[in-house]
Amino acid sequence: MTTSVPEPLLALSGVNTFYGQAQVHFDLSITVARGHIVCLLGGNASGKSTTMKIILGLVKPRSGEVTFDGASLIGLATPQIVRRGIASVPEARRLFADMSVRENILMGAFVRNDRDAVAQDLDRMLTLFPKLGQRLSQRAGSLSGGEQQMVAMARALMSRPRMIVMDEPTMGLSPLYVDRVLELIRTINQEGVSVFMVEQNASLALEIAHEAYVLQTGKIVLSGPARALKDDPRVRDAYLGGSEAA
Amino acid sequence: MSSWLDYTINGLIVGNVYALVAVGLALIFGVSRLINFAQGSIYLVGAYIGWVAVVQLHTPLPLTIIVVAAAAAVVGLVIERFGLRPLQNSVRIAPLLATIGISFVLDQLVMLTFSPNPRALPSQLPDVRFQLGGGTIGPLDLLIAGVGITSALLLFVFLRYSKLGWAVRAASQDRDAAMQMGVDVNRVNQAVFGIAAALGGVSGMLVGMYYNQIDTAMSLQATLKGVVAEVVGGAGNVPGAVIGSLLLGLVESYGVAVFGTSYRNLFAFLLLVVVLVLRPNGLFASARQAPPEPLTGTFIAPSRPVRIPRWALAVAAAIFAVLPFFPVSFYVLQTLINAWLLGMLALSLTLVAGTVGQVSLGHAALLAIGAYTSALLSLTLSVPVGLAVIGGGLMSAALGTLLISPSFRLRGHYVSIATLAIGEIVSLVILNWEGVTRGPIGISGIPPLSLFGYDLISPSSVYWFSFAVMVVLALLQGRLLTSHLGRSFRAIRDDDIAARAYGLSLNRYKSLAFIFGGFAAGVSGGIAAHLYSYINHETFNTQQSILALTVVILGGLGNVVGAILGSVALVGLPEVFRIAAEYRILIYGIVLLLLVRFRPQGLLGTI
Ligand SMILES: Nc1ncnc2c1ncn2[C@@H]1O[C@H](COP(=O)(O)OP(=O)(O)OP(=O)(O)O)[C@@H](O)[C@H]1O
Ligand SMILES: [Mg+2]
Repeated sequence: MTTSVPEPLLALSGVNTFYGQAQVHFDLSITVARGHIVCLLGGNASGKSTTMKIILGLVKPRSGEVTFDGASLIGLATPQIVRRGIASVPEARRLFADMSVRENILMGAFVRNDRDAVAQDLDRMLTLFPKLGQRLSQRAGSLSGGEQQMVAMARALMSRPRMIVMDEPTMGLSPLYVDRVLELIRTINQEGVSVFMVEQNASLALEIAHEAYVLQTGKIVLSGPARALKDDPRVRDAYLGGSEAA
Repeated sequence: MSSWLDYTINGLIVGNVYALVAVGLALIFGVSRLINFAQGSIYLVGAYIGWVAVVQLHTPLPLTIIVVAAAAAVVGLVIERFGLRPLQNSVRIAPLLATIGISFVLDQLVMLTFSPNPRALPSQLPDVRFQLGGGTIGPLDLLIAGVGITSALLLFVFLRYSKLGWAVRAASQDRDAAMQMGVDVNRVNQAVFGIAAALGGVSGMLVGMYYNQIDTAMSLQATLKGVVAEVVGGAGNVPGAVIGSLLLGLVESYGVAVFGTSYRNLFAFLLLVVVLVLRPNGLFASARQAPPEPLTGTFIAPSRPVRIPRWALAVAAAIFAVLPFFPVSFYVLQTLINAWLLGMLALSLTLVAGTVGQVSLGHAALLAIGAYTSALLSLTLSVPVGLAVIGGGLMSAALGTLLISPSFRLRGHYVSIATLAIGEIVSLVILNWEGVTRGPIGISGIPPLSLFGYDLISPSSVYWFSFAVMVVLALLQGRLLTSHLGRSFRAIRDDDIAARAYGLSLNRYKSLAFIFGGFAAGVSGGIAAHLYSYINHETFNTQQSILALTVVILGGLGNVVGAILGSVALVGLPEVFRIAAEYRILIYGIVLLLLVRFRPQGLLGTI
């Protein structure tokens, strides 16, 4: 197999999504190649989070197809989709605020039944996120935003997913933590986990992504290898509304 | 004379019983953000299953407890699977209404199976009392305490150490995030309904043994007390529910010690209202839960109302107006008079619940205030009846609005709880304020309706009078809805945050709605008082509040014509089909369930 066109792990094709009367996605098609980091860029309310919810089965598209590893996800409930090997780091992290950090991380392994291996993976998370070691019995809701992001990522990894979907993982973090998170995403990816991430911060995301898509009011207006998009002035323009391109 | 220690022990024991109900409510609220109004019915079912086991099957006590817990759990699972799961994607009000409907159905089934007469439920325990400090304690007290503590421990272990328990906790903190961890929320719901029902059923059985008596009135009382305890402890907070229950038990017990038995419930509901007003998240609000979804907007099923041409309404009104000229039986007129009176109440409720979005479960209190005011004005001050009825309307408008105003800052389900409690408080004040209301004796010899010195005694004159009053109220309300004010009302219902942002003063608009609605309901109660000639504190009860709500939903929330159509249908159809009185409530419950499931927008659609 050549590295340039690997078989896609996740594919959305021709997806149209509505909230009531309002259409949020117009004929959306996105593919995530095995082992790649793919980034979805776009301004506020362009439909990025909704794309994540479509993948996770939290929102049902009106038409279109979503496949993971060749099999359709349409009609599956969220827990079933998770069991296929997709983990998530939701927007604003969504930890279980009143459970301890340890319990939060272990909740990530809810779909697994191999207790010993789960315990080993918990230890592995503590080497990956060393700061969490001292916080294990603390209420998750009492952590700082950056620490919560670490917990959310550890929690997602605990299911041993084949793919992680992340919604704005750097949002609201200090520059130090932003770098840390990006580095971790790269590490996770190098261990073989594909990543689909939604970001507003294009320049940061394009540094680690293999491919990127730019979403504008529900339509993909630009896509391609991240390296190519990094210098493309249209990426910035897409955020500003597109029409006033120089 | 009992000692304070006795009152304390009694308070804690009763608190234990409440805790068994409240913990279940808290679990369900945690996972589904739903107040399960059917919880008391499961408690009732538990008591009667206990009776069957003890009296007919002669089971030993441990086996009785197991049988009751298992049977009640099955009822809970059935409710979850067939009553609530189909409503998962419905508007938020739907499951709440469904649990109300389910509770009516269950209570009536128990009543039809076992008759409404009280039964004795012997505890099979020796009747001895042990000295304990300055008080005494009996084996049944110890049993109740033991069951309470054991259940709490089991629940703690379940939530802390089992996988399903973790799923329950995760789902109650963030349902969507739990699903993204692979938690099957349906299984979690099943688990909490099963547990809640088992605990509730055992609680009902223990209470039956404690008083050695069970009857069907236990159901609503248990729901109310459980809800009070749960809300006091912080909705959805399981340890909070236990503490809230013990506190409630003690408050009641000490209240009874100082003021007497008839004050027991008054203290419970005052506690609730005080907590709701001062700390709506409960005394022990810990949980920084995921912010609750807005309850308004999606709270009401949106729909396009059925347009009925004006001429058709005019023709219908004309037909009903000339009806007494035709040889219709007294019975038909009587039925329609009841429909018009219910119609006025429904107009009031459809405005408050439908147009403004404040789903009141205590609307019968407005009837009671109007009825007592009008009766007392005409009896003690010899005010002409026509004026007295208007006085009743005004008093309901003023007092009703004043009483409800503390709950204006509440939203969604909390409004329903607060109005339910306020309704109970009104009835309890009527019971206890003997100097004015004559207490439990009630008021008799209320003069008949009269207008400008002419007594309205013939059925047709009463018919015309009540029909005319209802039509006038309906026209006024129709006018109101098309006015600028009506649009503001709907804006509040659909999005109170946005409405506030536009500078609408919510309290003023809610007050206006309750003033108008209070007047209509008060007039209805006033007329009823003069028709019945006798009223007491139970004449206007929660069943009527729920009946009115069913009417309003049947017609379509906020829909004026729908409210009247619903009243005629719900009062008239059982008469047409000659359905025996004891089956009617059952049918109302089933109608409510079917509506919620298949036509939440009602017959004529919401406005
Ligand atoms: N549950 C919902 N019901 C109705 N409309 C919704 C819902 N969720 C999102 N929307 C609307 O759909 C559009 C896309 O929302 P989405 O959350 O996908 O945007 P986003 O790109 O993630 O925005 P942001 O950058 O602000 O997170 C928005 O206009 C939003 O208002
Ligand atoms: Mg988003």
